[in-house]
Amino acid sequence: MHPLDLKLLRDARALRTQLFAVALVMACGLAMMIMTRSLMGSLEHARDTYYREQRFGDLFASLKRAPSSLAAQIAALPGVAAVEPSLRVGVTLDVPGLLEPASGLVHSLPDRRDPLLDRPVLRAGRALSLSAADEVLVGEAFAEARRIKPGDTINLLLNGRLTALRVVGIVLAPHYVFEAPPGSALPDPRTFGVFWLREKALAEAFDLDGAFNQISVLLSPGARPAALIADLDRLLEPWGGLGAYDRERHPGNRRVTDEINVLRGLSFGFPLVFLSVAAFMTHSVLARLITLQREQIAVLKAFGFANSAIGFHYLKFALLIVAAGTTLGTVGGFFLGHKIVAMYHLFFRFPDLAFIPAWGAIFSAAAASACSALIGVAVTVRRIARLAPAEAMRPEPPADFRPSLLERLGPARHASVPLRMALRNLARKPLQAALTTAALALATAILVVPSSFRDGIRHVLDFQWDVVQRQTVTVALQEPGPLRALADLRALPGVILAEPFRSVPVELAVGPRTRRVSLNGLPATATLQRLTDARGHPFSLPPHGLVLSHALADALHLAPGDSVEVRVLQGKRVHQTLPVVAITDDFAGTAAYLELDALNRFLREGDRLSGAHLTVAAGEWTAFLTALKATPGAAGVMIKNSLRESFRKTTAESIGLIQMLYRTFAIIVAAGICYNSARIALSERTRELATLRVLGFTVREVSIVLIGEIVLLALVAMPFGLVLGSGIAASIIATVSTETIRLPLILTPANYAFAVLVVTLATAASLWLACRRLAQLDLVSVLKARD
Amino acid sequence: MLSPVVPLPETVFQARGLTKTYGHGDAAVHALAGLDLDLFGGELVVLLGASGSGKSTLLNLLGGLDLPSTGTLSYRDWNLARATEDELTRYRRHVVGFVFQFYNLIPSLTARENVALITALAPDPMTPEAALDLVGLSHRLDHFPAQLSGGEQQRVAIARAIAKKPAVLLCDEPTGALDIQTGITVLTAIERINRELGTLTVVITHNAVIADMAARVIHLSDGRIQSLTTNPTRKPPSELAW
Repeated sequence: MHPLDLKLLRDARALRTQLFAVALVMACGLAMMIMTRSLMGSLEHARDTYYREQRFGDLFASLKRAPSSLAAQIAALPGVAAVEPSLRVGVTLDVPGLLEPASGLVHSLPDRRDPLLDRPVLRAGRALSLSAADEVLVGEAFAEARRIKPGDTINLLLNGRLTALRVVGIVLAPHYVFEAPPGSALPDPRTFGVFWLREKALAEAFDLDGAFNQISVLLSPGARPAALIADLDRLLEPWGGLGAYDRERHPGNRRVTDEINVLRGLSFGFPLVFLSVAAFMTHSVLARLITLQREQIAVLKAFGFANSAIGFHYLKFALLIVAAGTTLGTVGGFFLGHKIVAMYHLFFRFPDLAFIPAWGAIFSAAAASACSALIGVAVTVRRIARLAPAEAMRPEPPADFRPSLLERLGPARHASVPLRMALRNLARKPLQAALTTAALALATAILVVPSSFRDGIRHVLDFQWDVVQRQTVTVALQEPGPLRALADLRALPGVILAEPFRSVPVELAVGPRTRRVSLNGLPATATLQRLTDARGHPFSLPPHGLVLSHALADALHLAPGDSVEVRVLQGKRVHQTLPVVAITDDFAGTAAYLELDALNRFLREGDRLSGAHLTVAAGEWTAFLTALKATPGAAGVMIKNSLRESFRKTTAESIGLIQMLYRTFAIIVAAGICYNSARIALSERTRELATLRVLGFTVREVSIVLIGEIVLLALVAMPFGLVLGSGIAASIIATVSTETIRLPLILTPANYAFAVLVVTLATAASLWLACRRLAQLDLVSVLKARD
Repeated sequence: MLSPVVPLPETVFQARGLTKTYGHGDAAVHALAGLDLDLFGGELVVLLGASGSGKSTLLNLLGGLDLPSTGTLSYRDWNLARATEDELTRYRRHVVGFVFQFYNLIPSLTARENVALITALAPDPMTPEAALDLVGLSHRLDHFPAQLSGGEQQRVAIARAIAKKPAVLLCDEPTGALDIQTGITVLTAIERINRELGTLTVVITHNAVIADMAARVIHLSDGRIQSLTTNPTRKPPSELAW
C-alpha cells in the first residue's frame, strides 16, 4: 500500500467518530431517498404489472341498467379494443359473530367464459364453476379480516333474500387495489367485503337479466380517452349513466397514485436537507484536518508531491465518508423499504408487491454526495496549494483579532473573559459561525417536521371526529327514501338523535375544469355532521348556495362569490348554476354541500333522504345493532369508532411509521451536527485551552470557553430553526396532501419544545464528550506542537 | 545563647532517584534515569543539555505537568510525585508561572487581557498594567498578539507568568524562537523578575551562552546530571552574545 494511503487510513482512524457522524448523517439522507424512490418504483411496477396481466380497463362507467346490446355498440366505437359489461350491486351481509351489519359489493363474472377485462387473481381455492349459482369468490381483505376460507359458507342478503353461498376461492381484483367501501376514504375490511358470482345467479336475484350496470373499456393504442369518455357519456346517459371516467379518477387507482405522489414529495425535500448538511459537515471536518496538517502538506510539497496528488489524497477522505454513508444508507434504505412494503399490505392489495431497489437513484445519490464532498474539499486544498512549502512549514501567525462589535458598542464590554474570547472567536470567523448556526438551525428545523405530521394525524383523529362528526353511526338507505324512513330510524332502540342527509352524484363544471363529486344535503341546523371553517369553528349551512371542500375549491379554482354549474348525474339529471357561498376545511375526499331543503327543491324529487346520522346511547348499542340488522332498506352502516380505528390502523399507522423513522433520522442528524460543531470548536481551540490548563485553570473553567461559543450559536440558531422547520413542515405537508387525504399543518408549543430539547440535549451531550477530551489532553505534547 | 543568623538558602524543590520512562518493553525511552537535585529559593538556575537530554522532562515534572515514573519529588510540603490531577491544577495555579518557547498567548485576548486572565486566579496578584510595565510593555497594553512582534509576545507571556507573583518561574526555551537582540530583551526581563521579586527561576535552553547569567548551571545528559556548577560571577543579560 502506498504510504500516503496508510496515512489516510491512520488519520481516518484517529478521526473515526467525526467521520462516522458525517457518514451517519449522509446515510440518513440516502436511506430516506433510497427507500422512497425504491418504494415508488416498487408500487409503479406492481401496479403496472397487475393492470397489464389482469387486463384492467382504461375507462369505466356505472349506470342504472342498460341492455347487453349496448355493450356491442360501445365495442364498435373507434379506439375501443375491448369492453367488459358486468353487474355490480350493493348487498348487506349477515356475518356470524359480527354484531353490526356488514355490507359489500357483488360483481358478476360472465357465464361460461373468462372475463375479457378486470380479471380477478385467484389467491386460494379455485375459480367458480362455469355456471354454478351457489358459489362465490371473496375478496382477500375481507376474507382475511373475517377469517373466511374456501369451503366456508357465507350469507348474502341478495335483493332482500338471504342466500347461502359456498366460498370456493379467495381473490384479488385490480378494481380493489384499495378495498374501501364506495365513497369512503378508508378501508374497513371488518365490515366491508367484495364478492364475485356468476352473472346468471346475480342477474336472477336482482332482475337484471340481459342487462349490465357497469362497463370497463380497454383502449387501442393511440386512442383519445377524452373523446371516448364523451362518447360513453352520450351512449349511457339514456340508461342512467353516472359519467364515464378514466384510471386517473378510479378511486382505487387514485389511492396508489396518491401514495406514489406522497413518496415523491418525501423523496426530495427531506433527503436534500440531510445531504446538504452532510456536505457541509464533510467540508468542515476536512477543512479542519487540512489546516491541522498544514506542515505535513508543506513537507510533502517540499519532497516533490504535486498539488494534484495532495488534493487527491484529501479527496479520498471525502470519498471514504461517501462510501461509508452510501453503504449504510443503502442497507438502511433496503431494510426500511422492506418494512414499509410489508406495511403496505395493510391497505394496498397487489398480487405481488416486492421491494425493488432503485439503483439509478442510489447511484445518482452517491454521485451527488461525492460531488458535494469534492467541492467542500477543493476549496480548502486550493488554499493550501497556493502556499509556498517554506511558508507552510512555518507556524501560522497568530490569528488576527479585534474587540467584537458587541464590545465596541458597549453591552459586552464588561463581559467575562471566557465570554469575550467566545465573542471574538465568532467575530473573527463570521462565515464559519454563520455556517455552524445554519447547521444547528437545520438540526432544530428537521425535528419540527415529523412532529407536525404526528400532530396533524392527531388533529384528524381527535378534532375532526369529535368536533366535526359527532354521530355514533351513519346509516345509508339502499334507495333514497321518504321522510318516514327517518322516523323509522329514530324509532330504533337507543337512538337519541337522528339527522337526515341526502347525497347525489354530480358533476361540477367551471369552464373547462370539471370534477365529479358527491353533493351532500344537510339540515341547516345539523349538529351531528358539521362543517368547519379554516379555524376549525363549526358553521351552519346557509339556506342557499354551495359549500365546497377546500381541496375541491382549489381544484376548480373557486372562491366564495363565484358560480359553478352543477349537473346531477342521476334521476331527472337536472342542472343549474349555483353560487359558492363558503369553503369548509375537511381532511379527506372532496365534496360539495347544500342545505337539505334547497337540495331537495333542486332535485325536484320531493323531500327525500339517502340516510341519517344517528347518536345512539352506549347502553343500548347491542340492541340498536340487532334491530338495525333486521331493518330492510338499510344498505350501509358506517360506525364512527370503527372507521376511526381503521384510520388508526392504516393511514395513521403508515404515516406514524414514516413519522417515527424521520424523527429518528432527524435526531441522529441533529446530534451529528451538534457533535461535529463541538469537536471542531475543540480542535480549533486545543492549543489555547491546553495553555490555560497549564497556567492553572481547572477543566471546568476552561470548558466554559468552549461551551460559551457553542451555546451562543445554539441560542441564535434555535429560533431560526423553529421558523425554518415550520416552513419546511408546511411545504412538505402541502406536497404530500392530496385530494383524497389531507393533513392539516399543526404546530404546537410541545413540538417546538421537543425540537429545542433535543438540540439542547444533543449539544449538551456533545459538549460533555468534548470537555471530557479536554480533561484528557496531553498538556505537554500540545504545547510542544506548533499550531 | 544568640548566634549570628546566616540565612541558609531554603530548599524549595527536592528530587531523589527521579526517573521518567515513556513507553515500555523494547520501545521504552528513559527520559530521566535516576536524578537527585535540590533547588533553592530565589536562585536563577539554567538547565543545559542537548536535545533528548531530559531537560524538558525535568521541567514538566517541576511544573506539575506530568508525574515521575519512580523516585520522589517535592515542592516545599507538596508531594509532586503522588499528586492527583486536581492537586496538580492547584499547584500550577498558585505556585508556578510558565513561559513557553512558542509564547502560547490567547490570540483572541489583548496583552492586558492575557495577563488579566491569570491575575483573576491569584489571591494577591500585581495589576496587569504593573506586570506589563515590568517587561517594558506599558505602551502595548491593548494590542492583540497578532499586532505584536515575537519578542513582545514573549514578554507578554513573561508578564502573564509573573503577574500572580508565583514562587517559581519556569521558562522553556524562552528565546528559542527569537533573534539575539530580542532574546536579550526577554532574558533581561526574566533576570529582573528574579532579582526584584526573588522568584526561583529555572530556564531551560540548549544555548550555553545563557548559562552565564545563572547562579547555578545544571548540565543534563542522557537523563542524568552530568555536572552542576556555580557561577562565581553572573553576567547581566545585556553582556551576553551568541
